[in-house]
Amino acid sequence: MSWRGHLIVGLLSLAIAVALPFVFNINYLVTQVTLAFIYGTVVTQWNLVYGVAGIFSLAQMALFAVGAYAAAMLGFYFGWSLWIAMPVAALITVVVSVLIGLACLRLRGPYVALLTLAIAQVLYLVIVNDTDCYTTEGSGCLPFFGGVRGLTRFGELGFREWLGEDWRLGNYFVALALLALALIFSAVIMRGPLGLAFRALRDNPGLARSRGISRFKYQIWVFALSAFFTGLAGAFYAANYESIGPTVFSFSLLLFLIAMMTVGGIGTLWGPLLGAILLMGTDEVLRDYQEWRDIGLGLLLVFFVILLPQGLVGLINWRRERVD
Amino acid sequence: MTLDILTQIIASGLTLGAMYAVSTVGLSLVWGSLGMLNLAHGGLMAFGGYSAYYAMGALGLPLPAGLLAAILMGGLLGALTYHGAVRFMLRQKAFETNVVIATVGLAFVLENAVLKLFGAQAQRQPLQVEGAIQVGNVVVPLQNILILATALLLMLLVALLLKKSRIGRAVRATAMNREAAQLMGVRVGQIYALVLMLAGALAAVSGVMISSLTGLSPGMGADPMLKAFIICVVAGLGNVYGAVSAALALGLIEALAQFVLGVRFGFATLLLIVIVVLIWRPNGLFGRQQVTRL
Amino acid sequence: MSGGLEMANLSAGYLGRDVLHELSLSVPAEGLTAIIGPNGHGKTTLLRAISGLVPRCSGAITLDGRPLQGLRPDARVAAGVVHVPQGDMVFAEMTVLDNLLMGAYLPAAARSAKERLEEVFALLPKLAERRGQIASTLSGGERRMLGIGRGLMADGRVILLDEPSLGLAPIVIEQIYALIAQLKNSGRTLLVVEENAARVVELAEAIHLLDDGRFVWSGAGAELMARPEILETYFGG
Repeated sequence: MSWRGHLIVGLLSLAIAVALPFVFNINYLVTQVTLAFIYGTVVTQWNLVYGVAGIFSLAQMALFAVGAYAAAMLGFYFGWSLWIAMPVAALITVVVSVLIGLACLRLRGPYVALLTLAIAQVLYLVIVNDTDCYTTEGSGCLPFFGGVRGLTRFGELGFREWLGEDWRLGNYFVALALLALALIFSAVIMRGPLGLAFRALRDNPGLARSRGISRFKYQIWVFALSAFFTGLAGAFYAANYESIGPTVFSFSLLLFLIAMMTVGGIGTLWGPLLGAILLMGTDEVLRDYQEWRDIGLGLLLVFFVILLPQGLVGLINWRRERVD
Repeated sequence: MTLDILTQIIASGLTLGAMYAVSTVGLSLVWGSLGMLNLAHGGLMAFGGYSAYYAMGALGLPLPAGLLAAILMGGLLGALTYHGAVRFMLRQKAFETNVVIATVGLAFVLENAVLKLFGAQAQRQPLQVEGAIQVGNVVVPLQNILILATALLLMLLVALLLKKSRIGRAVRATAMNREAAQLMGVRVGQIYALVLMLAGALAAVSGVMISSLTGLSPGMGADPMLKAFIICVVAGLGNVYGAVSAALALGLIEALAQFVLGVRFGFATLLLIVIVVLIWRPNGLFGRQQVTRL
Repeated sequence: MSGGLEMANLSAGYLGRDVLHELSLSVPAEGLTAIIGPNGHGKTTLLRAISGLVPRCSGAITLDGRPLQGLRPDARVAAGVVHVPQGDMVFAEMTVLDNLLMGAYLPAAARSAKERLEEVFALLPKLAERRGQIASTLSGGERRMLGIGRGLMADGRVILLDEPSLGLAPIVIEQIYALIAQLKNSGRTLLVVEENAARVVELAEAIHLLDDGRFVWSGAGAELMARPEILETYFGG
């Protein structure tokens, strides 16, 4: 697609997203679409790591959790306003991600998946297994990271005071802005030197290396850059629900987000977002068949990886190429 | 006194290690021959555990039949994994990562199928033997000894199969050089299916063993699978013999860590070890450096 | 008896690009046929097309009148095609003995593996000495011999040898060609591909020069020797 094409698709989607809550002002819909925007942000950044750089990292949800916990803890322990805590949390996430990136530097494909999975699991276990009381204020014993119950009452974004009944719309538009920025950011990266470097490394590693393109350098950059919006999305997730717990580490959520990327189209600009919207929608439709939801999701993932490994956007591109 | 503690740690460490070895060997074989990281391994363990539970509990069959049911179920699921998914993906350019995604999907299907069939509440594994023997002042349950013996027997069988049999030779040959194996007349698809069936059966047996100590629940495979991965990584993915020794070593370390650090942080410590090993030796402790050709 | 390996209008290649263009070739049921030509012009692809390793392939291949096209590689081995691939594609972490036994993998060959093993050891006593050694610890020449020995274990109808002298020292090349001559004299059907024409020309009944996926010259060994301009053009002297 040309720049103009991307722009048209982007503006159209933006117009629909802006109009949506005014056309259907249903609390439930607004909340769910807000969540879809958050997940959309996460997968567009994950896509930079996996789809563009080809690093199969499973730590992305752990980074999301780092952002969420950092924001919540800054609010909870220091009483920071979430508006300040969120960007700071995003920067903390960047630092953590760079550390993970350094650890993964020398590893090949599936080893990266294992290491990142192990790191995510360590974080989860530390949060869940630490049952010593760090503070006993308020509701009694609370471990440092909140333990199994998680953290609540760390402040809010202030939309209730400002918008009253419609406070959810405040969150909705923050999420939309977040997603839009993340998308523009990932478009710039994909088209910029980083994206080119990775394409060169993937298509012809020998030539790329002889031209001085260092995988190490770019790999660290992609870990750092993609972490910012992932952490910010996590921080906003905590702010949006005004609570955070270890469920963000769940395998089920990880699967859900991988499925979004796979169904939409790994490595494409719009694919992950399309996948996020489609899967959130499908999830809603299947709400009445909750018990079949996870089995269906699993089968869907297998189906796509076998028949349409390029995802829906890949399918569209392929058809366009055939027509051309 | 200290000798008794040591005996205790060794006894439980060996039992743990033996269980891990059984599940890890399958995982390692699959990686070695297909280049496939199977995240559905934990689901296979759960299915194995519940198959024995169903055969002995609901059908009232005797103990060997319970074990056999698990083996058959594991093999069947392995065959399904190959014929239902993997064979269609072998030609894909991004096979290594795509197949991981597919197995993540399968893992989900398996876990939720168990959930639907047997419910979420924990169950007791009926495949048990009662009684214990005395080693010095330490009481070692017969169940642990049965686990250890079964595991050793299985490892021996697998080693014999790989080393001595015609088909085992073909499995090794395919892992070393797929194309050369084809030129010897090996039907690679058949070998892959066989390896997945074998790995499935081993996972199922380890599921029975693990659940006989910890009980059954749909998500029971998650932790042991992660441990099996740890062992694989420490040994170097695909290194079957390294995996057995690493499994026994990690079983002992875990038993020791639980004694010294308590149950809560034993697993986290293990994970930290993996992280350090991976950073220090990216191809595992016994793994060789992969040479990338340009 | 006529027969042998026949190819008609064979085109083959990889991912949307043909490397071989409508080749026709007939390898008689006895003796040694050589295909020579510069590197990168389809010699290896031709052998891979015969053994079924090339994803894209059209045209007809028959062995003793039996069609091979459309068969999987393993079925072609069963039909009697033995392909000794280029380079050292021995099973590096297996013993010499296990490598040889892999050569007799298919049930028909496995049944007579013992006798065949004795034959191979008689022909290649070095391998008998080193039967317990891991293949990757062998020297380059020994590995090449193991590759050929492994091929002999299959007891096939036709043996395809891909650049048997590639990368070996001159003295080792002599040994390998002495072995090839022995194989030829024992009545086996051989199709040998070489970039370096010098050695194979002496043994071959028929020589085909492959250039850019097409045969540009065919004839007997002696004829080629009498046409130095051909060697000049394709091999630079």
